[in-house]
Amino acid sequence: MDEHELMRQVQEGNEMAFGQIITAYKDRIVNYLYQFTGDYQKAVELSQETFIRVYFKANHYRPIAPLSSWIYAIATNLARTEMKKARRASLVSLDDLTTHEFQDNAYATDPPDSGLIKNLREALNSLHPRYRLPVILKDMEGFSQEEIAEILKKPVGTIKARISRGRHFLKKRLEKALDGGRLSA
Amino acid sequence: MDELEILRKLGRAHAPPGFEQRVMAQLSLRKRSTRERRRAFGLSLAGAFASLLAVLVLLNVFVLQKKTPLGLADNERGYYPALGIGSKPTSEQTIPVIETLDYAAEIRSRSAEPGVIYLLEQVSDTAIKEIKY
Repeated sequence: MDEHELMRQVQEGNEMAFGQIITAYKDRIVNYLYQFTGDYQKAVELSQETFIRVYFKANHYRPIAPLSSWIYAIATNLARTEMKKARRASLVSLDDLTTHEFQDNAYATDPPDSGLIKNLREALNSLHPRYRLPVILKDMEGFSQEEIAEILKKPVGTIKARISRGRHFLKKRLEKALDGGRLSA
Repeated sequence: MDELEILRKLGRAHAPPGFEQRVMAQLSLRKRSTRERRRAFGLSLAGAFASLLAVLVLLNVFVLQKKTPLGLADNERGYYPALGIGSKPTSEQTIPVIETLDYAAEIRSRSAEPGVIYLLEQVSDTAIKEIKY
């Protein structure tokens, strides 16, 4: 059954069809949100909320764009809002420290390597979300620039520039880490 | 160094086991709370309307001035608002008319005329001004 048909059934309240959509997208969405937030637990919570919203907002879905773009857009908006909230909270409390501790203990998904992977993740997390999101969507999730523009609601030209700048920043960060002798690979 | 290649090799996170069940459980919880919220909203809306109706009825009974159809007609004609039937006029609303009449002479003067019957009839419900003889 194709995705549009599945969504049509979800719009009619069919929970079986909704279950199929979750199964098809759960890993992609969890991974995307994990790469974006850098926190596995948070990524799982946000993914659950994303699917709940997919169900309740199913009537807003129009089959003119791929379902994946629509679901990723919901996930992106949720993650952005969450990060803004977290940033605001960290300005007024000492929770920041515990957040970092929590992140260190988060679900390990990276290969048990290696300084290189660790440095790459640090470099990715240090990127501003404006650049991190297009880079993740392009280089990790495999979306085209047009699809990313659709997900992030920005013009294609802006997305191209952000991907290019994001990659550049990433490269610089890694080179800096190499020069500092922190990379052994 | 091809950092983009490494980027692709970054470990991918996977959804934890039982993810679907957790989402479904959340979903049924949200559905129930949405239903309850809607019902509570409906009830509070009905309560608000009922309270408003009660207030309007009380206002109408105790505060707003009651008007009979004749009073309304007098209003249209530009008269002073009439009082309802049976209500007692205040001293300001009463115009004392004192007239001395000699009924004996009246009867005597009329007695020469053929049998005349005088009917004393109140012609209007709103004629509230007391006439004192």
